Amino acid sequence: MNKLAALAKENAASHILLAGDTFDQTTPAPTVIRQAMNAMRAAEHVVWILMPGNHDHANATELWRQVVQDAPENVVVLLKPAPHEIVKGAVLLPAPPSERHPGRDLTDWFEGAGTGDALRIGLAHGSVTDFDSSEEGGSSIIPIDRARRAGLAYLGLGDWHGQMPIGTDTWYSGAPEADGFKHATTPAALLVEILSAGAPAKVTSLPTGSITWQRARLDLTEDDDAAALHDRVLPPLAARALTLFDMPVTGRAHALARVALEQATVNVAPDFLWHRTDFSGLGMVHDTDDLDAIDHRGALRAAAETLATEASDTRLAPEVREAAQVALSHLFSYALEA
Amino acid sequence: MKLQALHLTNVRKFTHKRASITGIGPGITVVSEANEFGKSTFFDAIHALFFEKYGSSAKPVKSLQPYAGGAVEVAAEIETPQGAFLVEKRFLLRKTARVVRLSDQATIAQDDEAERWISTLLGEAGDGPAGLLWVRQGLLGLEPEGSKEKALLTETRRDLLSSVAGEIDVMTGGRRMDRVMRRLAEDLGEIATKTGRKSGAWKVAADEVATLEVELARLTAQVETLEGALAERKAAETTLARLEDPEARGRRDAALHAAQAAMETARAHAGLVTAARQDRDIAALQTKNAKVELDGFLTAIDKLNTAETAARATAETRRLADAEVTALKATSDVAKESGIAALNAVIQARARLESARRQTDARKAKAEAVRLTAQIVKAQEAQTQRDAARARMKASPATTEWLSRVDAAASDASMRESAHQAQSTILSVVYSGATRIALNGAPVVGEQPVALEGEAHLDLPGIGQMTIRAQAQAADGMDQLAKAKSLLNDLLAVCGAETLLSARSAAAERAEFARQADLAQAVLDTLAPDGIDALIAAKAEATLAAAEAHDEPLAVIADLENGLDQAVADEDRTAQTLRRMAADHALARETAIKAGAVADAAATELDRARSAAGADERRETRRIELLRIDAQTADTLSNAETTLNRLIASAPDLATTKAELQRAADAVEAASRQRAQVAERLAALSAQIRTLAGNGIEERRDEINGQMETALATEARFSRKAGALIRLQAALEAERNAAQETYFGPVQEELKPLLAILHRDAALSFDSENLLPSGLTRGQTEEMIDNLSGGTKEQIAILTRLAFARLFARQGRHMPIVLDDALVYSDDDRIIKMFTALTRVAHDQQIIVFSCRQLAFQDLGGARPMVEITDT
Repeated sequence: MNKLAALAKENAASHILLAGDTFDQTTPAPTVIRQAMNAMRAAEHVVWILMPGNHDHANATELWRQVVQDAPENVVVLLKPAPHEIVKGAVLLPAPPSERHPGRDLTDWFEGAGTGDALRIGLAHGSVTDFDSSEEGGSSIIPIDRARRAGLAYLGLGDWHGQMPIGTDTWYSGAPEADGFKHATTPAALLVEILSAGAPAKVTSLPTGSITWQRARLDLTEDDDAAALHDRVLPPLAARALTLFDMPVTGRAHALARVALEQATVNVAPDFLWHRTDFSGLGMVHDTDDLDAIDHRGALRAAAETLATEASDTRLAPEVREAAQVALSHLFSYALEA
Repeated sequence: MKLQALHLTNVRKFTHKRASITGIGPGITVVSEANEFGKSTFFDAIHALFFEKYGSSAKPVKSLQPYAGGAVEVAAEIETPQGAFLVEKRFLLRKTARVVRLSDQATIAQDDEAERWISTLLGEAGDGPAGLLWVRQGLLGLEPEGSKEKALLTETRRDLLSSVAGEIDVMTGGRRMDRVMRRLAEDLGEIATKTGRKSGAWKVAADEVATLEVELARLTAQVETLEGALAERKAAETTLARLEDPEARGRRDAALHAAQAAMETARAHAGLVTAARQDRDIAALQTKNAKVELDGFLTAIDKLNTAETAARATAETRRLADAEVTALKATSDVAKESGIAALNAVIQARARLESARRQTDARKAKAEAVRLTAQIVKAQEAQTQRDAARARMKASPATTEWLSRVDAAASDASMRESAHQAQSTILSVVYSGATRIALNGAPVVGEQPVALEGEAHLDLPGIGQMTIRAQAQAADGMDQLAKAKSLLNDLLAVCGAETLLSARSAAAERAEFARQADLAQAVLDTLAPDGIDALIAAKAEATLAAAEAHDEPLAVIADLENGLDQAVADEDRTAQTLRRMAADHALARETAIKAGAVADAAATELDRARSAAGADERRETRRIELLRIDAQTADTLSNAETTLNRLIASAPDLATTKAELQRAADAVEAASRQRAQVAERLAALSAQIRTLAGNGIEERRDEINGQMETALATEARFSRKAGALIRLQAALEAERNAAQETYFGPVQEELKPLLAILHRDAALSFDSENLLPSGLTRGQTEEMIDNLSGGTKEQIAILTRLAFARLFARQGRHMPIVLDDALVYSDDDRIIKMFTALTRVAHDQQIIVFSCRQLAFQDLGGARPMVEITDT
């Protein structure tokens, strides 16, 4: 809230539009509501316009009762699909979800909404029709050309947590702070400037996130230099302390390369705010040289060969093969230590 | 390699001497010598030759040096596939090693090269097979027996293992496998127990999952409650809006008003029906009353006639009964007079009889008083006599006891006197004539013995004098006689008697007094058994009773008694007559009372009938009037019933109307009640929603969901890791066990026939850790090696070495077996069997046996080498 207010002040924005899911639940704790309202009250230079999303839909009566009760004067709550004059000559058409999964186009009414000569701005929450899924899967269905069809100067969308333009006049602003590895974009808000009716909207992304969620997939082939590739996907040292780093490793690698990579990930893990690697998707390549690293013959070698065979036997259940592969990986580590 | 000869120079007891064993055969060679011969010295020396470097001064080498010091030299002639060689080493001083080919006496290797040559000969690993095949004296078992033995045996075991260590390590992974297993166990131990159960971080993760599951379930339930409350509140609000819809409310009110109006109409009609029913009931009642009154009047007329007849009859009966009572009462009065007279006669007769009897008794009392007076006098006389006799008796001391004592004293004195006389000289004279003789001058009375004392002089008239000297008596007898006489005299003096006769007279007199007293007492007891005072009292009583006695003539009592009996009989007869007449009278009275009651009842009934029938002059008029009323009320009743039936037929269904009204009223009330309930429920739901929402349970649930996701992933990661480690552990153990089985297989194969010589169907199991026999199975029972007897343990130890030797031989590595006093605990039978086993192996295996048991090992056969000791 404070970051958004500061950006609004910095860019002389008069209104901040929240396109739904301001609250993640239909019944957040009263203190959460109160503190949110207090933060908005503190940003008295801006008007906050709150519209329900699918998480805090309009039928969340207890939530909105509390919001309305605690809301300061610079907060507007739009619970009904009715035109709202933002400023003289500019009307906001909200499409608040009435429930978690409305299953219909809530912006349908935009086209017939009478607003005179006023500038029309739409605010909706949900997925567009060619959008494969919303955050939760089909919370609502919005035509991709809704802005054009309804004569909107700009259509602001909520629901998708990553920032994404649907067209020049339609944007998902994304969540101001990431909460998962799903989106690769930097968390940000959008500064939307419309100089006049008919003029194209000028949209500027303003970073807002403080924590970086980074998921770096490392897809290896048996000829890759795994350590070098690992070095390449790592963020700069200075950024690691505020980075949540998730690295799924896939593909295939020689056992020795895998052991080396495992050790490398262990070495860099303390650099990060949070660090996780997942080797479950990494297949192993076993050749004689690899197994020789364990032993040339005898029981250790025989056990290694047994596990290698088991790991590559497609007739076995995946979990059995995975167990054998991980076991072989451990055997490599132990044998190299011994 | 086979040993052919051994040479020791300056070794231990062979100080400055050379000890040689030559003629060692290719099979069994027995060196059977007494203790302290140096067998162990040979054993240790050849061990040092093959396993200690020539430059070594280690303990095994130092131990070979004699006290005198000097260089220690050990040499062995051996045969190999490459030919015969002499291997020799000199330790401690001028150290050297040398291998000499015997065929040409050429030194083929010296010092370090010689060591390498020996190593190649023995094999790559450590002590080689010899460490496994050679057995020192006293170290026959496979387990330690004491601290020193334990250390030595541990060394032996190490030798044993190291003899094949190279191959085992290769097959089982050796120490590298151990390290891998240890690391694996460490990693697995951090997250799982030995049995594969969760522990450490894995358990923490699993526990967190469980905890979160509980918390999540709780929060989910609360969220569901909250969602349910929200949904319910929404539904309630809809319901409330519907209930408060004015149009619906108007419909309910209109329906209620219509139902109320219909109900009023129905109730009014019901009132008409009720009134008609009351009219009908009144008419019916009047009709009934009229009929009753008419019937009553006619009945009263009939009853009046009957009552008049009855009243007359009962009055006559009553009159007759009263007359009977009067007659009986007169008769009864007469009888009562007779009874009174009879009773008076009885009383007078009884009075006369009683008077006569009292007079008779008074006269008898008077006579009794006279008799008692005389008896009192006699009794008083007897009492006086008794008291006098008792006084005299008490005055006399001559009691029976006294007399007994006197008799006893007299008897004692007489006895002592007789004894005295018996001891005295007795002079007894019976005169036939008148002449008398004199004793000491006094004449001697005839027929009366005289005791003579001392010297007595008899004057015998006509004859002369005679002097008799009596024998003197004993003084003691004399004294006792005197005491007896004195006692008798004292007793006699008590009663003043002088002789026994007078004493007895005094006693008889006292007895007579006693008899008199007793006789007087008996008389007294007879006359006054209860005492004289009782007689006096009886006399006074008789005197009193005799006061009424007079002297007038007295009637005869029997006559008086007869007169009384007659009077009593008369009185009984009179009384019986009186009772019979009283009964008749009472019966007559009862009959009269009953007749009176019946007559009274009949009169009452007659009065009642007259009253009911009314006055005679009005009876007809009343009958006609009653008949008219009866007809009139019947008509009224018929009309009332017609009216009632008409109203009932045209009445609306009151129950249906009431139901309609009830339904309409219920609908209104239900709507009102439901409105209140819904409003109340709304309030409760709002409170519940605010309470639950106030706790932020959705946020908490989502937070826990996130934690749960992480915990599940962590738990799954540990689970996968544990599964992988367990899988790795299983794979490694399986391969190691397979390798060990591969290793032990040939050994077992070689061991089996040898073991069968000693124990049929026996088998040895091996410890996979230390590669030593660990148990012996005989039949179905497996015994641990530790628990076997010393003999069995040493036999197994030798057989195991024989099996290893066979295994090495099969691989082309022939090494001798050297046993130093290896059979110490075995009995003779087992020793023979062990000889058989040794002989079986010796077919293609050199075995050198050192033993001090010369006699026992005679049966072993084999070569007996030359042992030669010479000075150097």
